[in-house]
Amino acid sequence: MNISLTKIIESWITDNSKVIDFGCGDGSLLQFLIDNKNVNGYGVEIDHEKIQQCVEKGLSVIEQDIDEGIQDFVSSNFDFAIMASSIQCLKNPHIALGRMLDLSKQCVVTLPNLGYWRCRLNLLSGKMPVTPNLPSSWYETDNLHLCTIKDFEKLCADEGFVVNKKIFLNGQGKKGTLASLFPNIFSSEGVYLLERK
Amino acid sequence: MKTERNLIHFESGIDLESGSRLNKFDLMVETYGNLNKDKSNGILICHAFSGNHHAAGKFSADDSIGWWDQIIGPGKSIDTNKYFVVCSNNLGGCSGSTGPSSVNPDTGEIYGKDFPIVSVEDWVQSQKMLTDYLNIEKWHLVVGGSIGGMQALQWSIAFPDSLKKAGIFAAAAKSSTQNIAMNEVARESIRKDKDFHGGDYYKHNVKPKNGLKTARMLGHITYLSEKHMDHKFGRKFQDEESRVAGDVDYQVENYLQYKGEKFSDLFDANSYILMTKAMDDYDASEGNSGDLEKTLSSIKAKLLVIGFESDWLYPPQRSKEIQLAAMNVNVECSCLILYGKQGHDSFLFASKRYEKIIKSFIES
Repeated sequence: MNISLTKIIESWITDNSKVIDFGCGDGSLLQFLIDNKNVNGYGVEIDHEKIQQCVEKGLSVIEQDIDEGIQDFVSSNFDFAIMASSIQCLKNPHIALGRMLDLSKQCVVTLPNLGYWRCRLNLLSGKMPVTPNLPSSWYETDNLHLCTIKDFEKLCADEGFVVNKKIFLNGQGKKGTLASLFPNIFSSEGVYLLERK
Repeated sequence: MKTERNLIHFESGIDLESGSRLNKFDLMVETYGNLNKDKSNGILICHAFSGNHHAAGKFSADDSIGWWDQIIGPGKSIDTNKYFVVCSNNLGGCSGSTGPSSVNPDTGEIYGKDFPIVSVEDWVQSQKMLTDYLNIEKWHLVVGGSIGGMQALQWSIAFPDSLKKAGIFAAAAKSSTQNIAMNEVARESIRKDKDFHGGDYYKHNVKPKNGLKTARMLGHITYLSEKHMDHKFGRKFQDEESRVAGDVDYQVENYLQYKGEKFSDLFDANSYILMTKAMDDYDASEGNSGDLEKTLSSIKAKLLVIGFESDWLYPPQRSKEIQLAAMNVNVECSCLILYGKQGHDSFLFASKRYEKIIKSFIES
């Protein structure tokens, strides 16, 4: 995960909060939040190698397919649920988002923007987008549900998720003026802090 | 590997959960490796139902290999070069610790059916006494599979300050209705053996071998997975030379006959009944009216809960229940579901992933 993204998430997460990171990967973000924010953190991951890395870091990690398992997470009193660059890999992203907001007060979501100009150029040239934050070819990507910034915000409005904060990153993975003014074209990644109405 | 085997006597006795009391008792204990100066490298192994203190290596040349030798030893996941590993035979067992086949010091006669009911909580209590005897303030890890995993869980509940980590493998916070049902069939076959004599078979110089054998055969079916059984034996016929019983046709029959027969020579029927009862009766949340979260809220240890996909005796869902309840009350807890083709028995066998996870958990 790039450093700006980590910094943004860090600035949103409050000290000593309880955090669950869905699709926590090797646990780097969780480790960072534990070290810098003293959070009580849990990770959910499906990849064996990444789970192993979490255990090596001494993190609490749950081996679980998010689509299948998120219904099992009941009455967990989390302050924040994080889903960084994983929402597009889920079978039912809207259900998972709703569930995340049931078990936490607020929810951090980051997602790659399919409306980013380089993706559009790729599509114009007749090919599936391959960009720095969508690096895999169509046949080997884990992404099932890619969307644009506009699509995502429409989903939030339809489902009654309130966008508390949002930040858009440019192609270099940094906050940029153009990306903020015209996110649907110039941001490669959107970062959201959501809660229920 | 430096190995010691000692019978440790506890003159103070123990008050049991049932209200009964053992005025004195012994625990048969095996240790591997060396305790370091600050006594911080102790690992306590809790054995499963039919296991015992002999967890690793061979104590003598003609000894059998320990039941968890694939995991415990020099350079292994539980590394005896680095850790001081302790395993004791549970109270009520039949491998040296005080049990139904021991002589009651108050009467001079074998306890038999009069041996008091013991519980998982009692085992943990007696292991705590052993811990004090060894002058260990805090275990680095308490770990076990199946009912051994229940003991590890109970350790973290009952003595939160006495362990850093707990490994709870192929276990549950309580036995299921089906678990109890299976155990009752096993017990019934023992009780109905003509040589059982209400549990006082020692006086008659006989053993209810047939009942015990049938019980164990049933047990073995529940320890394996359908797939593994099919893979291991299929519908293959047993060749005539290696048949252990006359009316055996299939290899799986031969396997069960062999395992059952061997077990009935070694194990004590009263211990079998006692151990299965302890397993059935365990419910971690009993004291809190079934509220598992409340029960786990006192835990300070870091937990590693592992379930195995092919385990239908304590299926992965039982592991997840522990993890979810622990997470809800802010206990540090990981939960992994490993493939493990050997069904419930999977916790006994090393696999690359299992070994790596255990090692990392210990060393993280």
